[in-house]
Amino acid sequence: MTDFLLYLTNGLVMGIIYALFALGVALIVGIMNVVNFAHGELYVLAGYFSALFASALGMHPALAMIMATLCVFVVGLIVERTLIRPTYGNEMYSLIVTFILSIVLQNGYLLIFGPYPRKPPNLVTGATNVFSLFMYGNQRLLGFALALVMIVCFFALIRYTWFGRVVRSVSIDRDMASLMGVNPQRVNLLAFGLGCALAGAAGVILTPIFPVTPTIGVGVSLTAFVVVVLGGMGSFAGCVVGGILLGVMENLGAAYISSAYKQLFGFIILISALFLRPAGLFGRKRA
Amino acid sequence: MMPAPVGEQVTAHAVRIAAINPYISPRGLGMNAKKLHRALVVLFALFPVIGAGPTWAADDSIKIGVVGPRTGPAAATGKAFEEGFAVALDMVNAPGKGVLGKKLEVVFEDTAGDPEKAASGIEKLITRDKVALVVGESHSSAALAEIDVANRLKVPLIIAEAWHDDITAKGYKYVFRAGPSNSGVVNDSLMGFVKANGFKKVAIVAENTDWGLGIKKLAEEGLKAANIPFMTIVTERQSQDHYTELNKVKQFGPDLVLAFVYGFGLHYFIAQANETGLAPQTALVLDGAGPPSLWPDFWKNVGDAGNLELFVSSMNVDKPVTEVDKAFYEAYRKKFGQNPTDYKSRSLFNTVLLAADAINRAGSTDADKLVDALEKTNLTIASGVVKFDLTPGSYRYHQWQPPMLVVQWQDKKQVVVHPKDLATGELKKK
Repeated sequence: MTDFLLYLTNGLVMGIIYALFALGVALIVGIMNVVNFAHGELYVLAGYFSALFASALGMHPALAMIMATLCVFVVGLIVERTLIRPTYGNEMYSLIVTFILSIVLQNGYLLIFGPYPRKPPNLVTGATNVFSLFMYGNQRLLGFALALVMIVCFFALIRYTWFGRVVRSVSIDRDMASLMGVNPQRVNLLAFGLGCALAGAAGVILTPIFPVTPTIGVGVSLTAFVVVVLGGMGSFAGCVVGGILLGVMENLGAAYISSAYKQLFGFIILISALFLRPAGLFGRKRA
Repeated sequence: MMPAPVGEQVTAHAVRIAAINPYISPRGLGMNAKKLHRALVVLFALFPVIGAGPTWAADDSIKIGVVGPRTGPAAATGKAFEEGFAVALDMVNAPGKGVLGKKLEVVFEDTAGDPEKAASGIEKLITRDKVALVVGESHSSAALAEIDVANRLKVPLIIAEAWHDDITAKGYKYVFRAGPSNSGVVNDSLMGFVKANGFKKVAIVAENTDWGLGIKKLAEEGLKAANIPFMTIVTERQSQDHYTELNKVKQFGPDLVLAFVYGFGLHYFIAQANETGLAPQTALVLDGAGPPSLWPDFWKNVGDAGNLELFVSSMNVDKPVTEVDKAFYEAYRKKFGQNPTDYKSRSLFNTVLLAADAINRAGSTDADKLVDALEKTNLTIASGVVKFDLTPGSYRYHQWQPPMLVVQWQDKKQVVVHPKDLATGELKKK
């Protein structure tokens, strides 16, 4: 039973963090109909920024995390304005542009930061004996709490603020929202920046645990896409449920079937879920 | 006619796709094509800055190829290889030296540890760059793909750091290995270390690659023969999270964990082994690959969990094995301003010296003459005196195994703990 609880806890922790970076993809897909292949590279960028701010500039790790997330938000705004905006209306173009951007960023990281893993100092060290049952890393527990807070804040933003209402209206009917005075271009810009910032937030939370390397973003993007498709394209609640489901199933699969094929379990869940619900767990069938 | 700029080519291609794709609106395409073109030009403009092209040889030079991972989870090995051949080229091309009166040049092809990339990479080196021979590689999966190409195209390949037995056990005429093999490491080093230090229970954690699975099987056989209880867990190569595996290991209660995990994954493994209360609290971890424990930022990534960690290595900067070894460390320090950290820089250095020696003795770049010369090698390199075994029918064919050390981090200092005759200190268990 203790083992099961450990696997469940770890699955939950990983799942919440999966959900956090998948929410960025869901937001951008839901609002802009753009699949951002460079999402994982923005996660990596935040990791590098936080390591750089904390190590080279001597910032406190917590401040470095906030600054890194803000920087990725600004990078997101610039990417939207220069690279994504010309592709509106053509999903294929946005795919091509973001795919090329991901390759450019990977090579850029390799050139600038080198191949070695980078991380900022841990905010906390050591491990806690959870429920007197098993030892669990304090940085992971903190990461879980931070990711949870970020997700709650994101839902509050979408549910209760003017910006959230605008985002939801554009997501439901872009033309109608436009007729009601919403500026879709500005919403796109902010939504893309926010989506990137969510990737960045996940990046700064996870980098102290899993240091970043130039190509690690590929796996992050893949996981985010699996979560988004599993939860239902563009569904925020689906992202959270999909992320947790993926994290838990990966851990239970690795524990009770084989740890050699951990990543395979994600795809098995995805295929099974799509077989039963083609639109994803929380997705709606399109008319 | 001059070809169109890359950005225009991509835009044109996208337009062609759009023309046959009913889901793309032609109206939207017309409106945005110019802006998109500008965006693509911006992206492609970055490529010349970040792209690393091959080194083109002049007529008065002889080219050899290097294969290894410049990208992927073991990209650090590519950096070590670059350092290794840079030092070797300085020595080989020193005034009055060279190969056959010409300058030796290197063309480096990235294999990313991927068999498909490795096969096409070595084929490019041989057919496009016309290299005389190829050296390098550190991924067994990639090397197993490369040896078939080298043998088919009849160009000698000297493997530096891919350990799978089959690389030389296949008995290919054009394939040599001047580096460790799985059998050599397990039988000559690891099992001796385990027995000599009286470990009672061993856990094996191996990544699911050709190297990981191959060395796991040999370690299992060795432990079984020595009557030492053991357990085995296979882990996903790309996995960053090892809590599940470590929990199972902890329940088994070993006093030694043999971690056959290569790349940055090892850093995560060490840090998490400490978080879960396994190492060094109740067991020692032995990194069965070596270099990841020496990469920059190792201590930053693992923290105090790195103390008492063990790793295999063929290099001890404080105790040079030969005069060439001493010269390598001096040249490395002069060029890079510090001691080498990754012993794979030295391994690649060694293979370049072997290649240059073979070309000089063969008196040509003819492949069969080079194979003949390599088989007659009797050269002192940094790790010892190389003589390739010529007995067919086992992994020893065309192989030379350097002596391997087991090193322990003790208060951030490297202490050689095995074999006893080369040891610089005692093993610490607590």
